[in-house]
Amino acid sequence: MSADKHVMALFENDVRAASAIEGMAGSPWKLERVHSPIPSDKILHALKTKKSKLGYFTLAGGIIGFFSGIGLSIYTATEWHLIISGKPVVALIPFLIVGFEFTILFAVFGNVLGLLFQTNLPEFKSLRAYDERCSGEHFGLLASCAEGEEKRLVAYFQEKGGEARLI
Amino acid sequence: MTYGQIEQTVLQTLRPAPFRYWATVVLMFLGLLTGAACWAYQIAVGIGAGGQNIPVAWGTYLINFVFWVGIAHSGTLISAILYLFRAGWRTPIARAAETMTVFAVCIAGLFPFIHLGRAWMVYYILPYPNERTLWPNFQSPLVFDMVAISTYLTVSSLFWYTGMLPDLATIRDRATGLRKKIYQIISLGWTGRYEQWRHYSRAYLFFAALATPLVVSVHSVVSWDFALGIMPGYHSTIFAPYFVAGAIHSGLAMVLTLIIPLRSIFHYEAFITKDILDNVAKTIILTGLIVGYAYIVEYFLAWYSNNIVEQESFRWRAVGHYSLEFWIMVICNTVVPLLFFFRKVRRSIPWLFTISVLINIGMWYERFVIIIGSAAHDFMPNAWGLYSPSLIEYGILLGSFCMFFFLFLLFVKHLPSVSITELKEGVHQGEGHVR
Amino acid sequence: MIRLFSAFVLVGLGTFLFQIAGQHPEKAWQAYLVNFLLWSAVAQGAFLFSVVLHITKARWGKPLQAVAESFAAFFPLSFLLFLVLFLGPEHVFPWLNGDAHGRADWLNLPFLFGRDTAGLALLYGLGLAYLYNALRLKRISPEASAGETSASETRSVPDSKQLEIYKKRTNVFAVLYIMAFAFVLTLVAFDLVMSMQPLWMSTLFGAYAFVKAFYLGLAALIVVASLIYISRGNASGLTPSQFHDAGKLLFAFGLLWADFFYCQLVVIWYGNIPEETSYVIQRTMMLPWNRLAWTVFILTFVIPFLILINKQVKTKPRFMIGLCSLVFVGIWLEHLLLVGPALHPKALSLPLEATDGLITLGFFGLMALAVRWALSRFTDWIPVRHQEVK
Repeated sequence: MSADKHVMALFENDVRAASAIEGMAGSPWKLERVHSPIPSDKILHALKTKKSKLGYFTLAGGIIGFFSGIGLSIYTATEWHLIISGKPVVALIPFLIVGFEFTILFAVFGNVLGLLFQTNLPEFKSLRAYDERCSGEHFGLLASCAEGEEKRLVAYFQEKGGEARLI
Repeated sequence: MTYGQIEQTVLQTLRPAPFRYWATVVLMFLGLLTGAACWAYQIAVGIGAGGQNIPVAWGTYLINFVFWVGIAHSGTLISAILYLFRAGWRTPIARAAETMTVFAVCIAGLFPFIHLGRAWMVYYILPYPNERTLWPNFQSPLVFDMVAISTYLTVSSLFWYTGMLPDLATIRDRATGLRKKIYQIISLGWTGRYEQWRHYSRAYLFFAALATPLVVSVHSVVSWDFALGIMPGYHSTIFAPYFVAGAIHSGLAMVLTLIIPLRSIFHYEAFITKDILDNVAKTIILTGLIVGYAYIVEYFLAWYSNNIVEQESFRWRAVGHYSLEFWIMVICNTVVPLLFFFRKVRRSIPWLFTISVLINIGMWYERFVIIIGSAAHDFMPNAWGLYSPSLIEYGILLGSFCMFFFLFLLFVKHLPSVSITELKEGVHQGEGHVR
Repeated sequence: MIRLFSAFVLVGLGTFLFQIAGQHPEKAWQAYLVNFLLWSAVAQGAFLFSVVLHITKARWGKPLQAVAESFAAFFPLSFLLFLVLFLGPEHVFPWLNGDAHGRADWLNLPFLFGRDTAGLALLYGLGLAYLYNALRLKRISPEASAGETSASETRSVPDSKQLEIYKKRTNVFAVLYIMAFAFVLTLVAFDLVMSMQPLWMSTLFGAYAFVKAFYLGLAALIVVASLIYISRGNASGLTPSQFHDAGKLLFAFGLLWADFFYCQLVVIWYGNIPEETSYVIQRTMMLPWNRLAWTVFILTFVIPFLILINKQVKTKPRFMIGLCSLVFVGIWLEHLLLVGPALHPKALSLPLEATDGLITLGFFGLMALAVRWALSRFTDWIPVRHQEVK
């Protein structure tokens, strides 16, 4: 386990990277990470990823926001015990605006918190075994294999069209 | 267009700047300081340092507030709404536009604070339990403003920052030393892993989908500062969409004003092509027509209403004391943009720049005509009065523009002013040159 | 199908004539007015979709564009139906016998007739001019030569000069149609809806009407496109992703409709000026109209909003037909809500009867016949091997 070797392979386009990923499906090597400078449908498809659950965070935020906004307005309106002005104390028409703004605000908070939780950002450990060209023009695959397998892994990647090296 | 070329061009802009850049920054900063000094004077002396009085209690501070919120809106239009419409031409200008939004909202948010006079009492508007047992009145449009502007500022900043994460990672990877450390922190360790992209794409879509109704609602709320009052010239149901369209109108013009120099100084001509400027100009035709429609409908219904107060208010706007401002408004906002119907005008850089500046002048005067023109000449003839801005107000106006350009100048040299990642995505999807 | 729709038309016409000759002609005219406004808006709004797609150079919805263009067949019918309104003006315009509140300069029959006729003629003329040039452009453009299955004309070699001329003309008429759409629909809304209650006014009313028209037009477009897709499948050129996008547009305009409604409501509510509030109070807070108001709101906004958030729904044609029909009913009722209290100020119960439904059926038949005629006549709009529609 701890003797695992890591190989970083860089591909110039996502089609080759995706085929390399698919080719690794039945192999003894493990795909640790895939880096890309842009989101790629082909790679996501090859990885057979499930749909992101981020939406639930956003929705939860939105719902909390809506009720908070309306709730805050109603609560603060009822706290003032003198009747002033000709408008009803609890008036839904203007309070809808406050509710709406809070909905958006809290939905965005949910969105951001969801993003941070789901992606585990900020995290700096990945930067250790990382190739800086991955944010440039290359798609990077980090794979691990048992001791002795590195040459085969490197060869496999080179055959798939990428440049590979040990990390 | 390869990924490498895109990166090269943008990273080039982040190199150490020449003397004239810093000279301009200092100049803008001096302007900002002038504005700050004027505000400091006003805090010391009192709100009377401004020209507002009875009957015109709202002056240039409100005009500037509405103006800057308006500028902010087209940034979100370009980065969020056009994203939802999958309009590829938005990509090269989205980052600069979104930045314009963030800075413009910051400046806009200052103005209610400035207008408060006794600025140390600003915390009264925040809803928190206090010993005075007071809460803000959530039925008031001014409190809607507090909620809406704070929401807009927060959401725009988060959208702007999140959108920049992959680009910040790119810069980190090309930087060295202290810069690398700084970008490492602000990029939150983004490495472009598929798990990150998977959620990021979704989050970005939600940001765009949430920012869109927010844009419409924020300027509607700002318009309701006026429309919910009963003063003739203020009380009109069309205000919300009219203000939103006007906001986008002035914002797009400001985008042109900023992007045209940016494009030539930073050699972005390959991405920010004339086609894109052309599309912005065409959108300006649309917003100009909407604003023109609103003017016509308001005038028609003022006549139709058979209400002498309403009719007098609108008559005076056109021929009264502030008629010069009125005609500047009409010509700059509705007539001048019609020139964009001509292809030659849309593709000529000098024309684009000139018209964009004229539109912003016109839109500033539109707020003048509405805010001041209506207040100066309302129900009772013996309550009519005039207003002119004081030197302090001019100072603060100057300060606000200088602050905007100061912040924008700092931004363009330290953060990527074009979205590297989105451009790469555009190339990847086979667009090559953006349409 | 033609026989069924023609039967609808005859039923509607019959009911209408029968009611006019009877004890309560005003009921017939009310139904006529509501239907005229609704179905004209459907045609104008649906057609706008094609124009907007052209102006924005969008390529995603070309087959939908063709369906949208077929609604132009209703334009001449709508124009004639408008003229018929003036056969019973005393039942349509409350201010004719009553008080025009000093607005007689604007609210008098000859002027109203003249300007609205001119406006509708202009709008429909521009729309048909756009259509003519757009069709010519489609016929002679290089893309049209490829993949054409049934040609009703011989294909000529694309002449680039001609192409330019037709492109330019199409663009010009497209812009003019959009401008006319805004102004003419505003005019019609002011004259035929807002001024029914002469003392009241709302500057947003015109824009509210044309946003409503586009919302309605999108709903109609989705219904017709869904029917075509159900009967012809992918051969029609329509794809689920187009329905998804159209559904998103529908969602957006539903929101915009609600937003414009709210903009008027909040300003009037807050200002609390009796001249303005009486209109709103009567329609949203007093019997018998308040229940209708809630029904309208739920059918037109709440239900579509909650349902259209879901992505999958937009790509299910049968479901969308149902949803869009709800929107239709909602907006039909909304028209009733706007003009009803003006025409029946002392109503104790909703002036809604079976005869209104029959007259509506007649208008529906007219629209269906027009659209069907256009789709079958201009066969290259929907590329298909066999022309027989269900």
